[in-house]
Amino acid sequence: MSTQPMAGNGAASGAQGAAYHAASELVPTLALTAAVLLIWELAIHLLKVPNFVLPAPSAVVASLIENRIQLATATKSTAVEIVVGFVLAALVGVGVALVIVRFERFGKALYPLVVLFQTVPKVALAPIFILWFGYDLAPKVTLIVVIAFFPVAIDMLAGLQSVEPSFVALMQSVGAGRGEILLRVRIPHSLPYLMAGLKVAITFSVIGAIVGEFAGANAGLGYVIQFASTQLDTALVFAALVVVSVLGLLFYYIVEFAEHVLVPWAPKFELAHRN
Amino acid sequence: MNMMVAADTMPSVQASAAPQSVAAHISARALAVDFLVKGHRQRVLEGIDLAIPKGSFVSLIGPSGCGKSTLLKVLAGLVAPSEGTVTVAGVAPREAAKHRMIGLVFQDATLLPWKTAIENAAFLLQTADKSIPRKQAMERAAAMLQLVGLAGAENKRPAHLSGGMRQRVAIARALALDPEVLFMDEPFGALDAITREEMSRSLLEIWERTGKTVVLVTHSIDEAVFLSREVHVMGVNPGRIIETLPIALSHPRTEESFTEPAFTAAEARLRGLLIESHRSKGSA
Repeated sequence: MSTQPMAGNGAASGAQGAAYHAASELVPTLALTAAVLLIWELAIHLLKVPNFVLPAPSAVVASLIENRIQLATATKSTAVEIVVGFVLAALVGVGVALVIVRFERFGKALYPLVVLFQTVPKVALAPIFILWFGYDLAPKVTLIVVIAFFPVAIDMLAGLQSVEPSFVALMQSVGAGRGEILLRVRIPHSLPYLMAGLKVAITFSVIGAIVGEFAGANAGLGYVIQFASTQLDTALVFAALVVVSVLGLLFYYIVEFAEHVLVPWAPKFELAHRN
Repeated sequence: MNMMVAADTMPSVQASAAPQSVAAHISARALAVDFLVKGHRQRVLEGIDLAIPKGSFVSLIGPSGCGKSTLLKVLAGLVAPSEGTVTVAGVAPREAAKHRMIGLVFQDATLLPWKTAIENAAFLLQTADKSIPRKQAMERAAAMLQLVGLAGAENKRPAHLSGGMRQRVAIARALALDPEVLFMDEPFGALDAITREEMSRSLLEIWERTGKTVVLVTHSIDEAVFLSREVHVMGVNPGRIIETLPIALSHPRTEESFTEPAFTAAEARLRGLLIESHRSKGSA
């Protein structure tokens, strides 16, 4: 019997088509954004709104340019916090999920505590972390880990546990143990779920970093926002907000890119996240 | 070994003739299974006696809740019986499974989505026997994919295969173990009617070529009659075998088999039994 050609080139042209489709989908959004900015700009000038109450978009852009060095330095501090915090949160989240699945009894004891811990308003812990760990990287990273590990743990856990029982039975019937099933079936199976959890975690990490800086810092974008608002430099507050948003978006897409590379076989998840 | 030779030379030992059915490839005696449902012991299977000769094709059919899937799981060693004994190729089912004597196919193909068809087909073999070199496992998997009619689709992931093709991979995965028996639990239940018939014909062909003993759980009367040499009809409350019907169709079975008088007779008889069994379920 002759071998049939694979559907490789079909998939490639499909990806190209998808990119074009995505770009054309963006057009209405961009147009709407432009319209909102224009109305905002006009309203500020016509109603003579003071700059410290609400700056016009043009004033925000001017502030961005004027304070670019300060903002760049602050961005660097915040980005380091986010990256370190996110990586640690991911490791803790994956660890918790693996422990719950691998050590069933201990897991049964641990799981309710993890869920209970999630109901603590963790943002309120920021001052305590400052008290414990000082003003540097440590309290921010701790806050990020505490906020962001949960979606990773929960999604990874869902992935580990959603292997079909009949397949597990099949593996057991030919002599596979729990460890082997975990390593060869459950973990690879959970990767798309893990990636979904990581996408939530990265956005939580950005929030954690900014809140951590609010609570006490001498560097970072959160610090800039707080400092500028005490100076009534609202344009700089908005400029820093723009930078934070772009940073968050950038990190999000890095995680999404990693998803495409690491689990190309993954079913596409809808972005239906709980907060 | 001796036992298997005996099974080969006496393929048609019937349960009635030999209750001590040493020759049977799969045998169950006075089998009962209890499940604990909300703290209550519930008998789901009772008084099951089976003697399935080597190389036979046997179907279990019955209304839902008759325990046919449970019976299959007991025979495959996935569920332990509460009473009675089961042997597959002379040993306990769990032992048989460990020695790659049992191939399993479920209603869902349960393929690993990150692995290609050929990797999926080789996966259980590699799990069962770590000493098999990867290359040899892949060759075996490729041969089985060819046997089930999937030559050319080796490197496709499950997402790019149709439901029928995925189920073929699952069959290839079971056959890659080179098992003595193939246990199939409504393997075509999730497929559309046309694919289902196609798969039935393929399964017959595979059975004829490999000579495996096949036990099929189905709720399709047509499928049971067309494929089997013997159909065990099951009843409910508790699940038990109410009648064993030999299917006297000629071999090889083809499209024409459907129009044979033996086919229609068996079909009518099965339908009657199932309706009766279903009624008793309703009144219970």
